[in-house]
Amino acid sequence: MTQKDIILETQNLSRYFGGLAAVNDVSIQIERNTLHALIGPNGAGKTTLFNLISGVLKPTSGTVIYKGQELTKLPVHRMIHMGLGRSFQITNIFPNLSAFENVRLATQSMRGDNFKIWRDTSKIEGCDARSWEVLEQVGLLEKAMVPGRFLAHGDQRKLELGMILAPDPELLLLDEPTAGMASEQVPELIDLIREIQAEGSKTVLLVEHNMNVVMENADFITVMNHGKVLAEGVPAEIANNQEVQTAYLGGLYELDIA
Amino acid sequence: MKTKQSFLSRYKGILIFFAVMLLLPFVIGLFEGSNPLEVWNNQGRFSKYLEGIGIEIFILAIFALSYDLLFGITGLMSFGHTMFFAVAAYATGISLKTLGLPLWQVLLIIVGTSIVQALLFSIVLPRVKGVTFTMVTLGLASMFHIIVMSSDMIKLTGADVGLQGVPKPAFIDPSIERLRFYVVALLILVLVYIFYRRFIDSPTGRVSIAIRENESRAKMLGYNTTAFKVVVMLIASFTASIAGVLHTLYQPIVSPTIADLGYTVTGLLIVLIGGIATLSGSIVGAFVIKILDLGLRGIMKDSAPLVTGIVYVVFVLFVPYGIVGSLKLGGLRIKEGWQMLIERFGLKKLFEKKK
Repeated sequence: MTQKDIILETQNLSRYFGGLAAVNDVSIQIERNTLHALIGPNGAGKTTLFNLISGVLKPTSGTVIYKGQELTKLPVHRMIHMGLGRSFQITNIFPNLSAFENVRLATQSMRGDNFKIWRDTSKIEGCDARSWEVLEQVGLLEKAMVPGRFLAHGDQRKLELGMILAPDPELLLLDEPTAGMASEQVPELIDLIREIQAEGSKTVLLVEHNMNVVMENADFITVMNHGKVLAEGVPAEIANNQEVQTAYLGGLYELDIA
Repeated sequence: MKTKQSFLSRYKGILIFFAVMLLLPFVIGLFEGSNPLEVWNNQGRFSKYLEGIGIEIFILAIFALSYDLLFGITGLMSFGHTMFFAVAAYATGISLKTLGLPLWQVLLIIVGTSIVQALLFSIVLPRVKGVTFTMVTLGLASMFHIIVMSSDMIKLTGADVGLQGVPKPAFIDPSIERLRFYVVALLILVLVYIFYRRFIDSPTGRVSIAIRENESRAKMLGYNTTAFKVVVMLIASFTASIAGVLHTLYQPIVSPTIADLGYTVTGLLIVLIGGIATLSGSIVGAFVIKILDLGLRGIMKDSAPLVTGIVYVVFVLFVPYGIVGSLKLGGLRIKEGWQMLIERFGLKKLFEKKK
């Protein structure tokens, strides 16, 4: 663990819901320019960890450090301005606005013109152009004027990705970007994520259930179970880890209770 | 997409409206047999009466526009919106009558009160959402209503009788210079409308729409949503205050009913009948409500509100997008409209549980 370029780390992060420790003393480090996957069975605390990192939830204890700065005390709307973009497990878009407007709003927030009430939106420099660029990147160019709720589920996931890409963040937190997608569409989206990560020298933290996808694409894997980090390592190490296998088979339940 | 549009083509509708309303008193004058010069000198009879109704409609429309900005565009359902209107109306009346200030100073006071009120409402903005916000705003407005009605304030506000005998500035006195008042009110309405149109196409306006659609997502996109809501609140408060000033200048009595929940509901109904978030719907709705009210009062006297009530219910049930909204969509789209209304009124959770 020497000389690693760490972009984000959590230190002893915990979050309790009543008596339940959803995230319990988690310390992970994410290296710059990697695709870091977070896996674990249902209820392992992956999404809670995401919410803690992105500021949606405040931790019970512990801190999140991003590029040497503490994130824990910042309000949610500051995150993207720090270069931290986040997607949701459940599709979270503006349902009645067009795909273009969805992406355009994501772009606009990074420019300093938000309170110019006498300025026409189309006259903000580079805002529309950037939105079209992003729509092309995620392959929604033809559907740009379709309202979000009329898009197919797969397209909504792409739109969601587009909304995170638009502000050009350094670190992308993707919470199951392929959730609910038809299996033949999954590789397409994963390739896209991989491409974005490699070309733009970005860091991606990804929650994913599809093990093949994770094993093939991730640079580093953290396995969570019962709110704790169970194992960490490169895909090959994780694949051969006995504990991880039992966790996914459910054998660990008895162990824990005893 | 749409690149450059000239001012004329962009605001064609409102400019035609402006021209028609400007000519209307003279046309009516010709019908009743008074020539345009007589109308110009405020010597018409029926045309002068109609100008009065026009002024009332314009004031209602300005008030409804501000409510549409708050409720229709930004999705903040305030039940205390009339407070902006009533505070301005009473402040104008008291400054003119008791303090004897000139009009320009009164307007400065109004700017002040509208800002103070918007900030007062903004204190609760980041803390409460949805129905709770509605109730808190209702509470604030009711407080003002009680103050106005209290017998301790009778010297200033006239309590339940209303504020009477406000001296009107001579150059805009509605009983003498009614045509001038009519044009001023019309002009203010048109300017407010154009300003609002520009606002919803501006970056701030677009974010306001995003807040209505999905506030938590807007936050995640990097917008400090509270700040945007405060801006909208300031604009809506100021606009409603202008309507309040016009109300006091026009009406012989400032009645305390304008501080009542009923007046906010009037604004809400205008928006619903005209079409939520359409802006022009507020103007159409104001015409419908005023004309309906006048017509029915002529026929049925005091039982008129019963029929207007039925009309409102029928409208909400069968024309959920309102007049302008349905025209724009090219159909009534009743079921879709109901869903939209349920979402707008923050009742989505209630209906989900029943499923």
